[in-house]
This record gives sequence, structure tokens and C-alpha cells, in this order.
Amino acid sequence: MRQWHAGLGIVAAALVLVGCYESTEVTVYDPGVYKGEEDPLMAKQRKEAQQERLRQRFRQVQTDR
Amino acid sequence: MARMKFLCDAERCIECNACVTACKNENEVPWGVNRRRVVTLKDGEPGEKSISVACMHCTDAPCAAVCPVDCFYTTDDGIVLHDKDLCIGCGYCFYACPFGAPQFPEEKAFGMRGKMDKCTFCAGGPDPDNSEAEFKKYGANRIAEGKLPACAEMCATKALLAGDGDMIADIYRQRVIRRSGRPQTWGWQKAYGESI
Repeated sequence: MRQWHAGLGIVAAALVLVGCYESTEVTVYDPGVYKGEEDPLMAKQRKEAQQERLRQRFRQVQTDR
Repeated sequence: MARMKFLCDAERCIECNACVTACKNENEVPWGVNRRRVVTLKDGEPGEKSISVACMHCTDAPCAAVCPVDCFYTTDDGIVLHDKDLCIGCGYCFYACPFGAPQFPEEKAFGMRGKMDKCTFCAGGPDPDNSEAEFKKYGANRIAEGKLPACAEMCATKALLAGDGDMIADIYRQRVIRRSGRPQTWGWQKAYGESI
């Protein structure tokens, strides 16, 4: 019974310690190089359909009065 | 590929501050931070002019040049954006920017500044488009939805234009021709003299 409790204690401690985990990976910066996440908008903006959408929007809302 | 730009026509701006309000409302900008503001020159005197100023999304952005952690990136159509997860809030970009665009919210006690905040051309940041995380950190991503920045779309007199630089230049050229055929860019006479 005592061994059973000790085992449970070890499992509970392991679970608690997992919550304290911190990534040790370090971002090493190179001058002028962006190393953040890739913005999904970048790929979207390269599409001609998206560019045309923005041009249409411009004609719709930015026309002179 | 378009080159996204802002242009404020000083002859049309009536200092209504609708652009400022639209920006704050659309992006839920925190108290104390103004991504866009209206600057008035010669206030109350003859020749008074107002211009709406925010990040100008420079081609060779000085903020990006001085950033020690390189948190800036530029989209193919020239929108200068930054990653708040990389930003360390050092303030170098604030000193480098000639327009005073980078802003720093007071987040902690003793006026300690948080991560830099600036106009994103309503294009959000590197988080998934129109996600809650993106909105919380950067505000709305209207560009991903095929819309243009709220400030320019809201401008009642169409003084503030945002979009492809070529299309904006066409509109502005037509306006100048209609007015008098002379360049009316703010600062033109100061730079080139009254006679030109």
C-alpha cells in the first residue's frame, strides 16, 4: 500500500513539474534577419486575386468626391 | 505588385480627428497610445494646415534598421509590421522614427513601458489572420479581409488616402490639376521657394 502511494506521489510530482517546463531554446539574432513567426498574410498578399480585391476596394471607397 | 502607402492631402484635411477615432475603435488601441494623430500647423492663423500622421511604412524603414532584435518585417507590398513576441520594448525605434509612430503603452508600475505598438496598416501581425491572439496584440487585420485601413476608409473629405501608391498618386495628381496645376505638397514652397 505504501509503495502504491509512493508511486502515485511520483506520478503527481512529474505532472506538476511538467507544468514548470520552460523552453531553453535561444534565438540568436543575426543583423537584419527577422527570426520571428512567418506571417500568413505574406503568402496571401502575393496572390493576384488578393491584390485585385484590394484594388477594387480602393476604387470603391477611396474615389474622389 | 502594389506598394501600399498613406497620403494625407493637407488641402482637404479638416482636423476632424475621425481617422484617429476610427483607428482607436477598429484596433481597440490601449489608453495612452495613439497610432494615428492629426498635427495642425499655424493653428488659428492664416494658412493653417492639418495633416494626419501615423507610420508611413517607409521603404527603408529606420525603425527596422535600429531594432536590436530585428522584430520588423516588410510584406511584399511594403507594409512594415513587427512581432511583439520578439520586441523587447527598448525604444530605439521611437528615437529613429521621424514621424514618432512607435508608441509604448505603460503596462506596469512606475511607468515601465511595454512592447512597441504602431500602425499596422490594419494588417495585424505574424499570428494567424484574424485570430483572437492577433487582434489582442495588433488589432484588426482588414487587409486579410480585402479591406483598406479604417482611418482612410472613414475619412469624410478623402484627405487621407491608403492603398497602392500608384493609384493614390493618380488621384492626387488629378486633384492638383483641378486646383491650379501647381504642386501643393506640404512643405513644397519651403523646400523649393515661393516661385516654383
